[in-house]
Amino acid sequence: MKKEGGHTIKLGLFVTLSIALFTGAIFIIGERQQLFSKTFQISGMFSDISGLQVGNNVRFAGIDVGVVENIYQISDSVVKVDMLINENARKFIKKNATAMIGSDGLMGSKLVLISPGAPGKSVISNNDYLATAKAVDMDEILLKLKITSDNAASITGNLSEIMINIKDGKGAIGKLLMDSTFALTVEQALINIKQGAGGFKENMDAAGHNILLRGFFKKKKDKNKK
Amino acid sequence: MDDASIKKTGAANKKPIFAEDERINPVTGFFIEITLLTKFAFRFIRESFRAPHEFREFIRQCYLVGYRSFPLIAITGFIMGLVLTIQSRPTLARFGAESWLPAMVAVSIIREIGPVISALIFAGKVGSSIGAELASMKVTEQIDAMEVSGTNPFKYLVVTRIGAATLMLPVLAIVADAISLYGAYVGVNIKGDVNFTLFIIKSFESLEFSDVLPAVIKTFFFGFAIALLACYKGYNADKGTEGVAHSANSSVVLGSLAIFLLDMIAVQITDLLF
Repeated sequence: MKKEGGHTIKLGLFVTLSIALFTGAIFIIGERQQLFSKTFQISGMFSDISGLQVGNNVRFAGIDVGVVENIYQISDSVVKVDMLINENARKFIKKNATAMIGSDGLMGSKLVLISPGAPGKSVISNNDYLATAKAVDMDEILLKLKITSDNAASITGNLSEIMINIKDGKGAIGKLLMDSTFALTVEQALINIKQGAGGFKENMDAAGHNILLRGFFKKKKDKNKK
Repeated sequence: MDDASIKKTGAANKKPIFAEDERINPVTGFFIEITLLTKFAFRFIRESFRAPHEFREFIRQCYLVGYRSFPLIAITGFIMGLVLTIQSRPTLARFGAESWLPAMVAVSIIREIGPVISALIFAGKVGSSIGAELASMKVTEQIDAMEVSGTNPFKYLVVTRIGAATLMLPVLAIVADAISLYGAYVGVNIKGDVNFTLFIIKSFESLEFSDVLPAVIKTFFFGFAIALLACYKGYNADKGTEGVAHSANSSVVLGSLAIFLLDMIAVQITDLLF
């Protein structure tokens, strides 16, 4: 009989432990879904919710403050999202705060991101509507990335063609850099120009001492001094 | 023993028609077996609501099938949590998603691994024990002796065992889930450093009621099916000691099969409802 009593106590403890664990799990999940805390409701009208689902988190300043309660399709381009927000976060969310759809990391689930409104505005009330902003769409980013990479590919293709032409001595730059005869010609031309410039200077100096042109050069000198 | 008491207690149970019987087509035998099993289940329901109730025996059975199975299920649960975490880590690390390890392991354990592994262990330990015990009682005519002494053997042996198994498996599965999560915590900390609070927060991050409640509810059905099949096989055993071995074996095999069948149905229903 005593042994049976011991068994009953052990069984009772075991069942109590199990019920406590189950209740704890329910409480933790319920707490996360705002079932046991005081909440208020706000809504937002979105044109595209990018796969947001009921139960997804609502994040404000990087903290999970609520959950998505309901999603209704109002028209072909308007989706209403009801959110349950923890009462503790109410004092930080202003009436002109904006909501947008984001995601929890690159692979994470969708969530509603609330950005704080301007300071000095009154805090949000129950059943208020938040202004919404268009979410940064991954498809859009990828499309832009594709256009950029296409352009980069085209530019590098052209650059490669130019470099090949230069290497083959084609075009002005190619001839200048790769054609040795052309380089010698250019060098000779430069020597000739230098010699010509030296001769011209000597001639001009001689002209400055000429009696007929002395007055002209003197006037020019005075004008420069002024 | 008069005819009425024979009818009431089921002492005049017909010899079970097994599929192996040469005279019966295996397909026909299967359907006959299903019919007899259904009748057995209805008899259990009828007897469970009919007074007097064998409450003390029910508590004793809860202790035997529940508390005494705890160490085995706890060890299995811990190892499953640990192994699942260690096995999953390289794949998640390849995608740079190691931080999702607790959440992924928790969903796997709570939704599927905890209930199913607990049920399979339960079928192995409790199912075989019930099948062998009742079969040996049957072949040694102890069940008949109980009837003669005025005790309702079905109520005393079957109702208490099925009831205890139905209630105790969910309890064991919940504890196994908790221990598995602890095993996962140890697994995460073998190659990392995550404190327990953060681990619990991350584990419950992806869990919802639709993960926990169906998983717990299905274990009631697992427990019921395991004990029902074991009691049926044991209560209808014959062929002496060979029949005892056959009953124990069939109880485990059919119990394990029933777990997977019920799990498949449970997944479909959960998918439809949530």
